[in-house]
Amino acid sequence: MLHWILWGTDMMERISRNTRIFFEGAFYSYKALFRWLNPATYLASKVLAPLTIMIFFVFIGAYASGSNNASFYVIGNSLIFAASSGIFGVTMSVGGERWTGTLPYLFGCPANRGAMFIGRAFMHILDGMLGVFIGLGWGILLFKLDLSQANPLALLLTILVTTFSTSGLGLLMGCLSLITRNVMLVNNTVYFALLIFSGANIPVEELPAWMQVIANGLPLTRGVACARTIIAGGSLTEIMPLLKEELLIGIILTILGYFLFKVFEIQAKKLGTLDIF
Amino acid sequence: MDAIIVRNLRRVYKSSDGIIKRKVKEVVAVEDVSFEIHQGELFGLLGPNGAGKTTTVKMLTTLLIPSGGSATILDLDVVKDAGKVRPRIGFIFGGERGLYWRLSALDNLRYFASLYYVDTQVARKRIPELIELVGLQGREREKVEGYSRGMRQRLHIARALLHDPQVLFLDEPTMGLDPVGARELRTTVKNLQSANKTILLTTHYMFEADALCQRIAVINKGRIVALDTPERLKENVQDLSVVEVEVYGMPPDQIEKIKTLEWVVEVSLENRDQVQVLQVHTPKGAEAIPMLVENLNGLRLGRIITREPTLEDAYVRLVGGAK
Ligand SMILES: Nc1ncnc2c1ncn2[C@@H]1O[C@H](COP(=O)(O)OP(=O)(O)OP(=O)(O)O)[C@@H](O)[C@H]1O
Ligand SMILES: [Mg+2]
Repeated sequence: MLHWILWGTDMMERISRNTRIFFEGAFYSYKALFRWLNPATYLASKVLAPLTIMIFFVFIGAYASGSNNASFYVIGNSLIFAASSGIFGVTMSVGGERWTGTLPYLFGCPANRGAMFIGRAFMHILDGMLGVFIGLGWGILLFKLDLSQANPLALLLTILVTTFSTSGLGLLMGCLSLITRNVMLVNNTVYFALLIFSGANIPVEELPAWMQVIANGLPLTRGVACARTIIAGGSLTEIMPLLKEELLIGIILTILGYFLFKVFEIQAKKLGTLDIF
Repeated sequence: MDAIIVRNLRRVYKSSDGIIKRKVKEVVAVEDVSFEIHQGELFGLLGPNGAGKTTTVKMLTTLLIPSGGSATILDLDVVKDAGKVRPRIGFIFGGERGLYWRLSALDNLRYFASLYYVDTQVARKRIPELIELVGLQGREREKVEGYSRGMRQRLHIARALLHDPQVLFLDEPTMGLDPVGARELRTTVKNLQSANKTILLTTHYMFEADALCQRIAVINKGRIVALDTPERLKENVQDLSVVEVEVYGMPPDQIEKIKTLEWVVEVSLENRDQVQVLQVHTPKGAEAIPMLVENLNGLRLGRIITREPTLEDAYVRLVGGAK
């Protein structure tokens, strides 16, 4: 009995200590990435840059498809903003450690690796969600996006799950960039793959069969579909199966990323490559 | 009691070059290294570039798996019990990397305090104390990118002390510091030892090891070539004296020739401004001067002196002089 109480309190303490690592790590690594921006530039990068991207795709899309279906591109590209936070932000936050030379200090500390690693995604999920809201906001202001049919809770859930799943991809990419020592190349490739495959700009049904297979294996694809359904007035139950799959993809990517991170740590200690950059 | 025990430690690095024909090259960075460091001792690991100092420290700090041998810290094995070793040790690697440059000193310390599970209350009290200890007070809210090299290095020391570790590894802590900064840092290190910490310090500088350490291990080409107190290391060369000759344009083969002379124990050549200084260790003392001059005929010579050997000479003799 006493044994179990001790075990229980020990567990509780561990959880609380690691929760701290999770959130403090999330906070400081985010701050370390973005503090070079002053508030004005930060805001510009969050608010203005998405606008230009959105305008670009809405007009290109309208021109290419010949229809006047701005909402399609507005919704798709708003979710792409989630992916860019998830991928670029998280990758930089993990892969950037090689550049700061902090890897030996991180791997020499006793911190729980899972909390340390997965915490990196947290702020970027919030950041990504904000990006989606801003994108949709521009859509309402400039492209007559109509959200009146949308169930707000279902939309919020869709955005949360999609941002989570893309940040899972970011964690995996972050690890790859630690291993390959090439952050930007890896990132850009994946980002453009999402632009093409996710259905954000090209309907998935119009892709060749082999591309559809890839599209269905990637995060974001289902999230984009869900968001469109919800905004068109669909119900939460209608999108639930797809949303669950999107969540599952996110969980799988996060777990894969974590394992890759552990493998990287072990390999780096074996090969002596921790502080090579 | 021994805080650190190192037994026959060995590390081989494999590196491959060439794209088509991958040739794997092996570098033995550390070979058969053994020593003990007593609790509360300040121990110096001294050696030239590439001697294997950093490699040794990396293995002891759980950052590199040894290829052979073993090491324990406070009776915990650095490989098998790595998780238990980590909270008990602090370490810094010389240089300014390894901090988040866009964060302030305070934020850097707060983050690492959480990574070391330092209680929030304790950290709140300790961080200002450490900032004071390393002399960063007043600047702690500024971003690290605006710090001087010395400030960053001192911040590293504060970081290493956050969790009040019993054992400290300082790999070239004075690297790149100006003489005043280096002296201040040495005082800090000395004070840490008074706080009863066990410290392993690596350095290139004999005088630094001499000023700080109770015992010094000299490492060269991966092997320990001497291990003793600074006094005893000096005694090794007491029977010799050193003849210093200023020369201009000494050809390398002439150094080799002098090395082979029967009354010469060790030769080193140092470049100082316009002139090279040839140092010859010999039991002959001043008698050696005419013989040496004879062997330097044809060269323009400057000042010639004989002097007592220093610890530096002991070191030069151990790691081989002419570079
Ligand atoms: N990651 C690595 N991969 C391959 N070889 C390495 C690696 N790290 C060190 N070496 C080699 O191992 C040897 C010892 O290097 P080490 O860094 O331990 O020396 P050191 O005594 O710390 O030198 P310095 O005084 O210059 O810092 C050198 O020959 C070096 O080139
Ligand atoms: Mg070194």
